[in-house]
Amino acid sequence: MIHTENLSKTYRMGEVEVQALRDVNLEIKDGEFIAIIGPSGSGKSTLLNLLGCLDKPTSGAVFIDGINTGKLSENALAEIRREKIGFIFQQFNLIHTLNALENVALPMFFAGVGREARLKKAEELLVKVGLGDRIYHKPSELSGGQQQRVAIARSLSNDPEVVIGDEPTGNVDTEAGDAIMDILEGLNRDEGRTIIVVTHDAEIAARAGRTKRMRDGKVLD
Amino acid sequence: MKDTFLLVYRNIRERKTRSILTMLGIVVGIAAVVAIMFISYGMQESITEQLSEMADIIMVTPGSVELGSFGELGSFTERDLKDVERISGVKEAAAMMGEMQEVEYRGEKVMVEIVGIEPRDMDAVFGETVKLEEDGDSGTSASGRELRENDRKACQIGYSVANDYFDYEIGVNDRLTINGSKFRVIGVLEEQGGFRSNVDAQIYVTKRDAVNIFDTRDISSIFVRVRDIGEAEEIADEIEDQIDDNHKLDDFTSAMAMGGAIEDLKSIFSVLQVFLLAIASISLIVAALGIMNTTLMSVMERTHEIGVMKAIGAKNRIILFLFLMEAGVVSGIGGVLGCIVGVIAANVISFGIYTAFDVEIAVVVKLQVLLGGVAVAMIVGILSGLYPARKASKMSPVEAVRYE
Ligand SMILES: Nc1ncnc2c1ncn2[C@@H]1O[C@H](COP(=O)(O)OP(=O)(O)O)[C@@H](O)[C@H]1O
Ligand SMILES: [Mg+2]
Repeated sequence: MIHTENLSKTYRMGEVEVQALRDVNLEIKDGEFIAIIGPSGSGKSTLLNLLGCLDKPTSGAVFIDGINTGKLSENALAEIRREKIGFIFQQFNLIHTLNALENVALPMFFAGVGREARLKKAEELLVKVGLGDRIYHKPSELSGGQQQRVAIARSLSNDPEVVIGDEPTGNVDTEAGDAIMDILEGLNRDEGRTIIVVTHDAEIAARAGRTKRMRDGKVLD
Repeated sequence: MKDTFLLVYRNIRERKTRSILTMLGIVVGIAAVVAIMFISYGMQESITEQLSEMADIIMVTPGSVELGSFGELGSFTERDLKDVERISGVKEAAAMMGEMQEVEYRGEKVMVEIVGIEPRDMDAVFGETVKLEEDGDSGTSASGRELRENDRKACQIGYSVANDYFDYEIGVNDRLTINGSKFRVIGVLEEQGGFRSNVDAQIYVTKRDAVNIFDTRDISSIFVRVRDIGEAEEIADEIEDQIDDNHKLDDFTSAMAMGGAIEDLKSIFSVLQVFLLAIASISLIVAALGIMNTTLMSVMERTHEIGVMKAIGAKNRIILFLFLMEAGVVSGIGGVLGCIVGVIAANVISFGIYTAFDVEIAVVVKLQVLLGGVAVAMIVGILSGLYPARKASKMSPVEAVRYE
């Protein structure tokens, strides 16, 4: 379970301060599929980055399974990102020198999983997202939708309880977007993973179990 | 580990041109150091080899051996020689008579240094190194024979005397006229060069003949070999005292132990070596800056990638390791290539010196220098990569991912 307590984030750019997040209190239960919608600049990405332990709050805290992540060392946070959370970016963010298989295996490499086991699991994951015939392709040889599916496979490689997607369908066409949502839905329905997705698209948001709106750094009820 | 290499390899290959340029810096630096080491080892070895045979020698000459003192030099007597022989620790003492004399060959007259010596003393004076010239192509097995006690009007001649001094080459059994008397050449000596080049320019006759040519019994120098090189200095002092005593003069005799001079030469040589290495090291420093620059650029360019890797769970340590490894691999390969180029360069330099100055310097390749070269390259590379690699590992994942 993830919950936040008065989570706030202020960006400072020289003289200017931007309050991207204001006292957010949010609770996400295990196995939930939650969609967060809101206009651009409302703080959705900021919130997800904090939930995914990619960034530190200015004040307040994120609790994962009851642990205050603000009290953890950098190494411990890296471990949480690696083991408990799968993060999917809008821009896919694959390593372009590595092929699909190696990209998917990378988090397992960081976790110290042996080569054989790693590549086997990576291949299974690629088959699962429908890319069994593309495992040796470099990201540049894949379409946007295919790249995003590789990224999903990568996010699953260490079996995380939570998958976080920051506009995962934002850079792909509708058809590919539907395929991506199908996969995420399946992860939630069939495997019981917690899914947190940010989206612009009301239609996509409708597929989630619960929807939260954001405006001006606040989560509305 | 293998996968880390793979990752690193991909990154190096991705930026091939720059990696190669960086590597080139290391190659040049290491090659310079390695080549200098090998050449100077070679020099050291040939000097030591040539000199070690002379280390037990004491040269006894009248007057101080300072250059430019052309005044009337004294000479030694048979009694001086006997006294020197009696000093304990002296293994052999050989009297030598030397004078410049007019030598005529086929009507051509040249001044050559004539040395009179007892044939049985020749081995003591020359040791193992001076041999008769091998005369392979003309069919005769060797160039003559050595001087014997009962030879009369016979001489052995140095290599330059035989080949360069006169318009016509002189060979065994040719006849020379020395100071009016006819001498038969019974042997031509092998070319010496280096520290013994004086031998090439001399003509050797028996002491008895020398007495006749020079019309004196005076001994111009005494050549001493000692039993123990460690005692050479003391024995030299004793010889000086003894002969000065005989002649009732102060500072009449100069006895120079070659061993000391050799040590001086060696230490001058090691200073030179350090100096050359210091110069070569500058190129290594330049190479280090190159690596640092490359790694920094690599970090900058890959900021986004580092962010992604951290976002999916890479610990700082792994990022640090990846970048250090990249620097280490580039510089390690550079080190290996540098060693190869260094060995080639050393041989080219050695050949160049040989063709230009006719001085042979062997290239001494030592395994520990090669291993050291690669190690130094890698250490330099890794140290230079440390700052940029730390910088990379400390980046915040969000900031880095946002960076495009
Ligand atoms: N690194 C940053 N530095 C400065 N301002 C930022 C930074 N990240 C986000 N912001 C600002 O914070 C606010 C919220 O941004 P973000 O969370 O990306 O919104 P969303 O994802 O909902 O579009 C915006 O006003 C944005 O300009
Ligand atoms: Mg956003």
